[in-house]
Amino acid sequence: MRRDVFQAIADPTRREIINIIAKHTLTLNAVADNFDISRPAISKHIKILTECGLIIIKQQGRERYCEANLSSLGQVSAWIDEYRIFWTKKLDALGAFLDKENVELKTAPKKSTTSLSTKKIKRK
Amino acid sequence: MTNEPFVIERVYNAPVERVWKAITDKNDMKQWYFDLSDFRPEVGFEFTFEGRNEERCYVHLCKITEVVPAKKLTYSWKYEGYEGNSFVTFELYPEGTGTRLKLTHAGLETFPAIADFAKQNFVFGWTSLIGEMLPKFLDKEVTVA
Repeated sequence: MRRDVFQAIADPTRREIINIIAKHTLTLNAVADNFDISRPAISKHIKILTECGLIIIKQQGRERYCEANLSSLGQVSAWIDEYRIFWTKKLDALGAFLDKENVELKTAPKKSTTSLSTKKIKRK
Repeated sequence: MTNEPFVIERVYNAPVERVWKAITDKNDMKQWYFDLSDFRPEVGFEFTFEGRNEERCYVHLCKITEVVPAKKLTYSWKYEGYEGNSFVTFELYPEGTGTRLKLTHAGLETFPAIADFAKQNFVFGWTSLIGEMLPKFLDKEVTVA
């Protein structure tokens, strides 16, 4: 599965982790102390954030520290966002246009008395 | 900054020929895309349209570079008065009775306007990005899906 920034911050726990780490670089355990959920669950979230490049893990002696790497977030999302939003809107509009036409084509013949629900079943 | 092209996919409940018409017929395009004075799916054909964000209006300059009927359409995409050039590719794949559309927008990092935007946004702060913009966007996407 491809990891990206959008996936990283789709989860509220991960957003909270980023918020905490953005203020202070913390050990894995110190991060986990901020949450009620299990340590392995937090580790999993941190692993995803690491894979997305938002967190860098640094080993210092016996401890592993989580450091925020937010520049990647700012850069990646800023320039891609505008286009993501633009194309999402456009391609949704295309879908709506095609759907509208489908409905019009199916409702056009006078003989057709099929209800909307049966049409949906037919499509699938 | 990553140079990976931007990719987005959709599956539509319409055959490829229909989707092809929707992305290449001027009258269809007007319904969902842009109102162009003319459009012909031919290599070398050029078209322009205006698009705006909150601040200003950008004149888009496009030139078709590849046409494979009912399969693939590529055009260059740049902005009047700005450096940089990008390429937009629509690819259509039959999927059951419908069509999977894959849109690729490559070369966005070549736009200075985007670089400026990125810088501004970085100064503006990632908190509002994470805190407001992206969750809104993600919620919207979930609703759509």
